[in-house]
Amino acid sequence: MDRNGVTEGELEGRGMNKCVEQVSHLALDIGGSLIKMVYFCGENSGSEHQQGILSSKESCGLSNGNTNCSVLRGKLHFRKFETSKINECLEFMSSKQFHRNGEDCHGASVSEKNIIKATGGGAFKFADLFKEKLGMTLDKVDEMNSLVAGANFLLKAASLEAYTYMDGQKEYVQIDQNDLYPYLLVNIGSGVSMIKVDGDGKFERVSGTSVGGGTFWGLGKLLTKCKSFDELLGLSYSGNNRVIDMLVGDIYGGMDYSKIGLSSTAIASSFGKAVSEDKDLEEYKPEDVARSLLRMISNNIGQIAYLNALRFGLKRIFFGGFFIRGHAYTMDTISVGVNFWSNGEAKAMFLRHEGFLGALGAFMSHRKDGFADLKAHHLVEQVPTKPSRNAGGCLNNSSVLKDVNENISIECTMQLSN
Amino acid sequence: MANLTEIQQTIAKNDCLNDSNTSFNNTKNNNKSDKDFVEREAREQREGGGEQDMAPIGGNPIHRSSSRPQLDVSGAAIQGNFEERDPTILLPNQSDDISHLALDIGGSLIKLVYFSRHEDRPVNDRIKKTIKERLGISNGNRRSYPVLGGRLHFVKFETNKINQCLDFISSKQLHCGGMDAHLWHSGVSNENAVIKATGGGAYKYADLFKERLGVSIEKEDEMNCLVAGANFLLKAIRHEAFTHMEGHKAFVQIDQNDLFPYLLVNVGSGVSIIKVDGDGKFQRVSGTNVGGGTYWGLGKLLTKCNSFDELLELSQRGDNRTIDMLVGDIYGGMDYSKIGLSASTIASSFGKAISDNKDLEDYRSEDISLSLLRMISYNIGQISYLNALRFGLKRIFFGGFFIRGHAYTMDTISFAVQFWSKGTSQAMFLRHEGFLGALGAFMSYEKHGLDDLMVHQLVERFPMGAPYIGGNVHGPPLGDLNEKISWMEKFILKGTEITAPVPMAPPGTTGLGGFEVPSSRGGILRPDASKLNVGVLHLVPTLEVFPLLADPKMYEPNTIDLSDPGELEYWFTVLSGHLPDLVDKAVASEGGTDDAKRRGDAFARAFSAHLARLMEEPAAYGKLGLANLLELREECLREFHFFDAYRSIKQRENEASLAVLPDLLMEIDSMDEETRLLKLVEGVLAANIFDWGSRACVDLYHKGTIIEIYRMSRNKMQRPWRVDNFDAFKERMLGFGDKKPYQHKRALLFVDNSGADIILGMLPLARELLRRGTEVVLVANSLPALNDVTAMELPDIVAEAAKHCDILRRAAEAGGLLVDAMINIQDGSIDSSSSVPLMVVENGCGSPCIDLRQVSSELAAAAKEADLVILEGMGRSLHTNFNAKFRCDALKLAMVKNQRLAEKLIKGSIYDCVCRFEPAS
Repeated sequence: MDRNGVTEGELEGRGMNKCVEQVSHLALDIGGSLIKMVYFCGENSGSEHQQGILSSKESCGLSNGNTNCSVLRGKLHFRKFETSKINECLEFMSSKQFHRNGEDCHGASVSEKNIIKATGGGAFKFADLFKEKLGMTLDKVDEMNSLVAGANFLLKAASLEAYTYMDGQKEYVQIDQNDLYPYLLVNIGSGVSMIKVDGDGKFERVSGTSVGGGTFWGLGKLLTKCKSFDELLGLSYSGNNRVIDMLVGDIYGGMDYSKIGLSSTAIASSFGKAVSEDKDLEEYKPEDVARSLLRMISNNIGQIAYLNALRFGLKRIFFGGFFIRGHAYTMDTISVGVNFWSNGEAKAMFLRHEGFLGALGAFMSHRKDGFADLKAHHLVEQVPTKPSRNAGGCLNNSSVLKDVNENISIECTMQLSN
Repeated sequence: MANLTEIQQTIAKNDCLNDSNTSFNNTKNNNKSDKDFVEREAREQREGGGEQDMAPIGGNPIHRSSSRPQLDVSGAAIQGNFEERDPTILLPNQSDDISHLALDIGGSLIKLVYFSRHEDRPVNDRIKKTIKERLGISNGNRRSYPVLGGRLHFVKFETNKINQCLDFISSKQLHCGGMDAHLWHSGVSNENAVIKATGGGAYKYADLFKERLGVSIEKEDEMNCLVAGANFLLKAIRHEAFTHMEGHKAFVQIDQNDLFPYLLVNVGSGVSIIKVDGDGKFQRVSGTNVGGGTYWGLGKLLTKCNSFDELLELSQRGDNRTIDMLVGDIYGGMDYSKIGLSASTIASSFGKAISDNKDLEDYRSEDISLSLLRMISYNIGQISYLNALRFGLKRIFFGGFFIRGHAYTMDTISFAVQFWSKGTSQAMFLRHEGFLGALGAFMSYEKHGLDDLMVHQLVERFPMGAPYIGGNVHGPPLGDLNEKISWMEKFILKGTEITAPVPMAPPGTTGLGGFEVPSSRGGILRPDASKLNVGVLHLVPTLEVFPLLADPKMYEPNTIDLSDPGELEYWFTVLSGHLPDLVDKAVASEGGTDDAKRRGDAFARAFSAHLARLMEEPAAYGKLGLANLLELREECLREFHFFDAYRSIKQRENEASLAVLPDLLMEIDSMDEETRLLKLVEGVLAANIFDWGSRACVDLYHKGTIIEIYRMSRNKMQRPWRVDNFDAFKERMLGFGDKKPYQHKRALLFVDNSGADIILGMLPLARELLRRGTEVVLVANSLPALNDVTAMELPDIVAEAAKHCDILRRAAEAGGLLVDAMINIQDGSIDSSSSVPLMVVENGCGSPCIDLRQVSSELAAAAKEADLVILEGMGRSLHTNFNAKFRCDALKLAMVKNQRLAEKLIKGSIYDCVCRFEPAS
């Protein structure tokens, strides 16, 4: 790699247009349902990259003492597209001219700059499409590697990344970097992967389930005719699952089955009431259906995650993946699931950049090629100063529908080296 | 001969206790049977007082019943005042406590377990009594209160057709406490009657039960019931548990002493996961709300199916790839091999519905159903495994209505467990899976006496009849044989439907977060085929494990494993081929009347249906061995009231053989000891040629008289035989070199056929043993099977033979077999005391084969002092027990009258002989 120049850049979270020309180091996570994109935007778009160069021994070479390095200041941006609308993604990339920017910024050869780091199944599936439309080659990065690298990066670098969510209360958790491992990473995408992480690059996929975000959306679409995931989530917010779920009380005549610790409001059987009621799908409110579905899936994921954490004696469970997208009720259900099954011993934690672990990890692999020695702690995350959606403890309905983490850009410096 | 027709009629109604009550009252008596009855009555009163009973045998005893031995027809022939001698009030102080019905009223199904006490019981006939005394069998109870002989029935109804269930209970008077029903008839108030029930519906329908049946429902805790039911089944039924992988069932033998702890996963509307540590010791450790209700509920919303079964059936033809997002869909058809996910693994259930621009209506219901089924089954399997892992449990049993013996469901769950455990853990299922709760509720009655029931005391039967096909009721309960026959005619229509193969979609993909495709052979997973039939459990407290088995735990009666499709098909052909001849014989044995013809027809249909069912699903009736198959045929005959199809043939052959016996004995007596022993064994093998169970022999019969065949057969007896341990046997008996002759104290001779086989073969051998001072116990069938000689027939045969032979006469007298004959043979009494006894005991079964784990208590008692076991004939020494090891000397003698068996077992050919001697191990 020929990356002698140190580039610095900063991008505004929402001001994509400001930094069009400075966009570089793009990575993609092309999943079954969504394409997640992470890209770096250097600061100070107008003035060329030389301005951003810092000679920075102290900021780069802590571990390797590499003096021949440069630091790029800027912001990481996050964006997602539906996989079924991949053309939007292609157009976006084309309009931002990612491919050419890289070349311009770093003076690298065309062939090298036309390589994009990508993970997720789509990196294989759509490789030809990217080649054809953008002339870009997707450099495939292992999905699990990416997830873990992304999560490790966030947990170590971003101070307020992890939080718990119970009863509508969001609470940030300060993670001691030295006591991070081992932990269970539950990535809820279309399906769910559960990964035991023991260190940087040290991990094992220990479990998973096919009942994930794709199930919620797919079943939800069939059941409610919702047009989008967000719409479905929005519906679930005002729904009442008791209409369709069979509760313990429904079976025991309103009583608890206290002998085994089940309260009358516990769900005995998701969608179980549909069995005995002589109602068609149309007679149920889509809101209620969405709510039942969400509870079923969140609870299930929470349970399987807890059982796996228990199995390996892991105290911390981090949930990520686009399914969560900061949706209060989803997190609440998962948290309740973990809390219930662990008798309060384990807590579900969520990541602010939950949907972008894979993309971020793929992005990090740029560094492996070009800036192998850069440490995560050189990157400083800055919570956007805007009156933010994530500031409040309780997310209200409207905020839920906005994509929270898409708007959190991370201010950071990238150290480039040979 | 007692009037057979009446006995049949009586028996015809005995399926239901109350029916039998009625029929006892209604049956016409004729003089002879009245007389028999009076005699028997008097006899039993005397026996009650402990007196020696010397009354003559009345009539030709006929065995009956669809169950084991002690079910003696002479008992069932009792007519007259039923109440006075109600044989079932064995618990005089507790009869009010004994209820016979328990329910599990679930959201979709009502499961009913009821117990009918056996109307027949061991008849203390004279000979048995004598033998018992001689063998020192006490009649004292071995438990605090006796386990009653009886039957446990399993029946299912749909909850939304609860009235059918109420009608059923009402028509059988189950709510009145079974045999105590006469109290009900006589107007005794039923107000305090209580039925134990579990399941959510126990509350919901309590009023309905009160109103319709006048009984109160007593609610039992659901978990308690589930666990009690599972514990009972796993302990009491030999092959209750099975694994199900890729469409293949394999029954698992659970060691009773190594059962706990285990994980019980009950998949009902929701799922309960219970860790069971012992009887009544359990904890619900987990569960999930994604269960059967979710499958059905979501399925109903998505497909508009009207029933659970319909939805399940849809799934058979589904292809989940149209809706599920597979790893290959994400990876462009490639595997994600690094983490072991193949392209066909389901990455996201229903995930494809996201990107497809399709509405619900655009998807096939079949595909939706299959996606849903896989999603839920995998999830259950996964969560169960994780819990088993958590507590270090090896065994996971799955039960509950969601499973329903549905092959694909079981495969999917098994696959999940197998996948996640990397093969270290296996999912197991229970044959009575739907009945755990109901059984547990039944167990919750105090003093049901089933707690310490042992596995060898249960015999499962599969009668043709309404409530019994798979436990589902397909119509009103059958009142009598007539109704059953008519029902059979209808059943056949249904039967053909069942046997027709249902097309299956090619094996698709499965997998959840990483499942490979279970490579199920599509054709195997047919909807109905996979369902397991649940039979009627006969509780026979008098059955015991044969005490001379070297290792009862390792004992497997069947030599031929019918789970080999080739074997099954062969025997299916053999038995089908036999059928017309058997029906002819059976009809003739009943006088060839129109009624007999109709019954014969029904029998043929029924047995064909059984065979078809088993061909389709060899595991349908549990673990299937040849012995079970042969016994099924006999049971089926009895079910249609053919109690002894070969009666006249047996009689004819007995007479012919007895006629030549004196000459044979004379010939034998002229030989020296060594020659004699050889000739006797040759004689046994030669005489074993007579076998109505063998097609080849049936053909032989048409070519000559019995004696001609016997002579011809004996002349062919050239040693060495195919399996020939005769020299070892001879050395044991007569000594050789330094070895001294060994005199056995008591020999058990398991005899086979009537006619030449017993009279010219086994009796002379028995005589030789007696002569040597060895006590001889002839062990014969309790109930007729083919032309096998029965324990009831033997005394007459022995008496007849004894007329020509002093040795036999004295021994028979000493053994109490000739007490009546003594009057005729005046000079016999002088030296009778000097002889060792010749005795007869029944073996406890009515099959051409014998399972030595379940023999009569008499035989078990007789065995205690025995040091030589001789098994004779194909059924008892080849089909079963060929590989059985005994703690004493054992001699297995048989002529192989089946080419295939000869090739398979001894690498020989038809008419080869087996003389296998195995000294005490």
